[in-house]
This record gives sequence, structure tokens and C-alpha cells, in this order.
Amino acid sequence: MLTLAWRNLWRKKRRTFITVSSVMLAAVLAIFLMSMVNGMKQQMIDSIISNTTGHLQIQDVLYHDEPTMDHAMEYGEEVKQAVSAFADEIEYTVPRIEGFCLASKEISSRGVYLMGIWPEKEDRMNDLSSRLIKGEMFSRHDDFAVIAEGVATQLDLELGDTIVLLGQGFQGMTAAGKYRVGGILEFPLPEQNNTMVYLPLQEGQHFFAAPDRLNRLILMLEDQALAEELAKNIQQELDEEWYTLKTWEELMPDKVAAFEARHAQVRIFAWVLYIVAGFGIFGTIITMMHERLREFGILLSIGLKRTQLAGICLLETFFMSIMGVIAGVIVGFPIVYWFYKNPIPLADDMADVMIDFGLEPLMRFSIETDIFIYQALTIFIIALLVGLYPVNKVFRLKMIHAAKN
Amino acid sequence: MKTVIKTNNLSKVYSDAAVPVQALKDVNLEFKEGEFTAIVGPSGSGKTTFLNVIGGLDKPTEGHVIIDDVDIATMKESQLFDFRLKHIGFVFQAYNLIPVLTAKENVSFIMLLQKAPKKEMEKRAKEMLEQVGLDDKLDVRPGKLSGGQQQRVAVARALASKPDFVLADEPTANLDTESAFNLLDIMARLNREENITLIFSTHDQRVIDRARRVITLVDGAVDKDEQFDRD
Repeated sequence: MLTLAWRNLWRKKRRTFITVSSVMLAAVLAIFLMSMVNGMKQQMIDSIISNTTGHLQIQDVLYHDEPTMDHAMEYGEEVKQAVSAFADEIEYTVPRIEGFCLASKEISSRGVYLMGIWPEKEDRMNDLSSRLIKGEMFSRHDDFAVIAEGVATQLDLELGDTIVLLGQGFQGMTAAGKYRVGGILEFPLPEQNNTMVYLPLQEGQHFFAAPDRLNRLILMLEDQALAEELAKNIQQELDEEWYTLKTWEELMPDKVAAFEARHAQVRIFAWVLYIVAGFGIFGTIITMMHERLREFGILLSIGLKRTQLAGICLLETFFMSIMGVIAGVIVGFPIVYWFYKNPIPLADDMADVMIDFGLEPLMRFSIETDIFIYQALTIFIIALLVGLYPVNKVFRLKMIHAAKN
Repeated sequence: MKTVIKTNNLSKVYSDAAVPVQALKDVNLEFKEGEFTAIVGPSGSGKTTFLNVIGGLDKPTEGHVIIDDVDIATMKESQLFDFRLKHIGFVFQAYNLIPVLTAKENVSFIMLLQKAPKKEMEKRAKEMLEQVGLDDKLDVRPGKLSGGQQQRVAVARALASKPDFVLADEPTANLDTESAFNLLDIMARLNREENITLIFSTHDQRVIDRARRVITLVDGAVDKDEQFDRD
């Protein structure tokens, strides 16, 4: 049966070529589409993780719902021991103290977002220093501020000028301080570029009158996939009454939901693609079926059972489908690999949408193995399902009519 | 001599046409082992229908077809597949070989379906192709053979599984005179030497002249049943 099915494929090479090509084309398109979607998703995740949330955060249990300085957590031995207990899974930690405050110079003032940071760790997480356009980035032990370019423009601040900050500190303390502007950073996202002011962590804690306190301790993990499990494990080491762990998905639910909605649209498009591909394959299989009705009738007449003939048809479809999807992966991989290495720059509205999402305006592609396996498998299953048509036809075939055909 | 096939009151009506067509009418015939029979008659007389019904390819509307003491008219389709495979050899007008298999593989095909041992299958296939004079074409595919050669392969295929009888539907219709005579010589020899029962439907006078029994069908009924001594 195997020999017969295999040789049948090469009897009409053109027909086989057309069928294999249609399966291949479907696989290439599906791989391309899903590589693009997964690339964008990964881009969003990477961007959120590296620019905003990290993989996991330890916070005061009330901070997520009510992010005020009063809910800054104590960064003491309990937290440090809990983190060190999972040192193998945690690549590094990034401490932050942060809050809104008023910034002013002479008679100008505006709301800014002040962040007390550990600069070396921030650099490791999001390469903050690379955004420096003037001056220098502070070290942990400095006492000057680095501000975003939009803040500098709006308050007419230059390097060496003094910025005055006023806000609310821990437990009702007044937070007030004046700092020399030592550096200016530029961000692509307007909401960051127009609001961010940075101080060294200890200066930030001092400003907010919250020594040894953090609003969040960001945990960067060795493996993103371990986030949920690790959150549960670390939580067991911490007092639930005071501390909580949040994954990046819990911290950014709106962005995750928005992206899921977009992803759902793409999935619908993918299904349209699968259906079109299915019909393409179906067309060639119907033609093949009608060309061979007589032959089928004869084979049944001379003693081949319907199940055996159906098996031959299914094997032929199996061979063509497997060749098609393998060819699809072989052709699809270099295409998506090229786009993986050379992301497509976006312009106009598309770029604005990406910026709104907090992403770089680039369409990135993914080359995860799962995409190739899943898409090849999906197209393969569709092709096999379409291949059930000849099987059904064989079982309903009127032998004599077919043989006379 | 042993009766190979017996038909009792065999009738077939095609009722799916606008006007029902009576293709066979009350046909009562017996075929003995080793007979060489030609079923003749004008077009539409029911020759092919008769072969289809006794070959288990089609069901009679009424009547019985007794082969090996079994009424195949009452068999289910799945039983008929096995029965045909074991008892009946077919030769068709258009050769109907499997184009992707070589001559030897085509001849082995039925034995393969019968799950015969490989060695025995190969030996028998070679023997049969030798018998029909194609021992030099064992590994040639049908596309590279002439019409006559293809029909000889079809004969070898029909006989290879040692069926109780062979049904041949107009086997010489597509052959030139030389190929037709060649084929008939082979079939007549096999009939004589191996006592194989052959039943032909034919218009071809060359076949009729070789047959020892000629049954004439007219409008689906037996008009004449004549015996001839050809030896």
C-alpha cells in the first residue's frame, strides 16, 4: 500500500507539485503571520519587563491598589533573606522608591514622577544611561538629579541648574529638597520624556523620609517562564500580611488585555488563512479524485477493499501534506529569520499605536521553535482533514459506475 | 464435471433511469469447470450486466447466483470483496493495470491482497508472465507496453491467484488482429492445459470462433445456448 501510494504521487508530478505547493504556501503564510504576531507580543513583554515592571515585584500588600508613599515596604532582613533563598532563579534585583511630586525652578513648576534608583542595576535592566544626552549619570553615592529632556525644556533647566522638588513623604512627612541637575535623558515615549526625574536610591529614600523602604523590589529572573511558580515560592517566605508578589501580567493588566484583543483579531485572520489554504488543497484533491474515479472502480473490482483504497488515498494525502509542511518550514524559516534580524520600521499611525503601547515603532518577528511546530502541525492537520474527502468518496463509490467512467 | 456457476431466474432491472430498464430476464444457466464460453449479443443485450452480476460486482434484482454452493446474491459487500478475491479473476476491455506498478507487481497484486507468501507470489508472477510470453517484461511498467502486451499482463494477473473462473469483458475489443489472436491462443492454451473456466462477453467473431460454448443474449434473456467441438 505504501509503495502504491508513494508511486502514485509521482505518476502525475504536476498535480503533486500543485498540491504540495499549496500546502507549502499555506505553511509559509501561517509561519510568517504567527512569527510576526509572536514577535510583537514578545516585544511588548520584553519592553514592559525591561522598562517598567521586571518579571516579578515584591511590594507592600496595599501598594498595588493604593500606590502612595505610606505603602512603601520595609526593605529589611526578611525580604533580603527571601530573595537570597532563590538566588539561583533570580538573576538580579532592582530596588526603587518612587512617587509624584512637584518640580520647580524659580516661578515655573510642574508635576513630575520622581524615582530613586540604583543606577548600575537600572542600567542592567533597561540601559537607562544610554538615554543620556547631556551631562552624566549619577552613581549610587552621588547627590545630584538626572532629569528627562521634556522636564528640562518645560522648566528651562540646564546642566548645573537647581531643581526644587516638593511632595509627600512617608506617613505624612513633607518631602522637600533641591538638587543640582547633573544629566539630561531623552526618552522616545512622551509620557516618560515629560515627567521623569531620577535621584540615587539613598537620596530618594531620604527625600521621601523613608530610609530602608522601597515601593517595589523588582526581580529579574533567569527564566521568564518561572515567574508564577517563583512568586508562590517567595511568597511563602514572606509575611502575607505585609508583602505581596506580583507578576508583570498582574502589574499591567490593561496592556495585556489590549494586546490579547489584538491577538484575537490576528487569530481570526489566521483562521481565515487556514480556511483559504484548506480550500486550495481541497480544490486540487477534488480534481485528483475525479481524474481517478475509474481507476478506483477498477481497483475495487479486482479485489482491493474500500478500507485499503481509502488507506492508499490517505497515505497519498499524508505524503503530500508532510512534504508541503516540511517545504513550508524550509522556505518560511529564512524569510522570518531575515525579518527577525531586520525588523520592519513602522511609520505614521502604526508607529503612534506602538508608541501608545509603550513600544518601539518596529515590527519584530519571532523565531521560536513553537511557531514552526505549531503552524506546520496545524496546516498538516488541515491537509489531512481535507484528505478525508477522497476517503469518504471511496466509501460511497459505486464500483461499476466508477469503472465505466 | 463440477458446476462452477449456476444462475437461477436471474433478473436485473435498472430503475434509476427515467424508464426502468430490464437488463436481464429470468436467466438460468450453468457453467462447468473448464468451459470456454462466449456470451454474445447485440449492444444492450445484457452481456456486461450478466458478467457483473455473476462476478459479484452488481446485485441482481431477483434470482440467485450460486458459486461454490454459496448464493453470492445474498452476500454483504464486505463478504463479496473477499469472495471475488478468492474465487474470481477479471479481465477488462481497457486492460486496467495499475500504472505505477511493474508487470510483475501487477500480476502479484491480487496475491498480495490475498496475503500470499512473498516467495510464492514472486514465483507465480514470473510463471504467469512466462505463460503469456512476457518473461522479458517483468520490471516494465504498463505505460511502456503495447495494448496487446498490457492485456496479456491483465490475463496473467487474473489467473495468477488461481481463481475458480475468469470473467473477461470484451478483452480483445481494443486489440489489433495479431495481438487478439495471440491473446486468444494464450487463453485457449491455459483453458486447455490448466482447466481454467473462461467466460467472455464479446462481439468479436475471433473469440466466438474459439469458444466451445456460445450463449446468445437478446434483450437480457437467453436466446441460444450452443456447444461446439473446437478440438
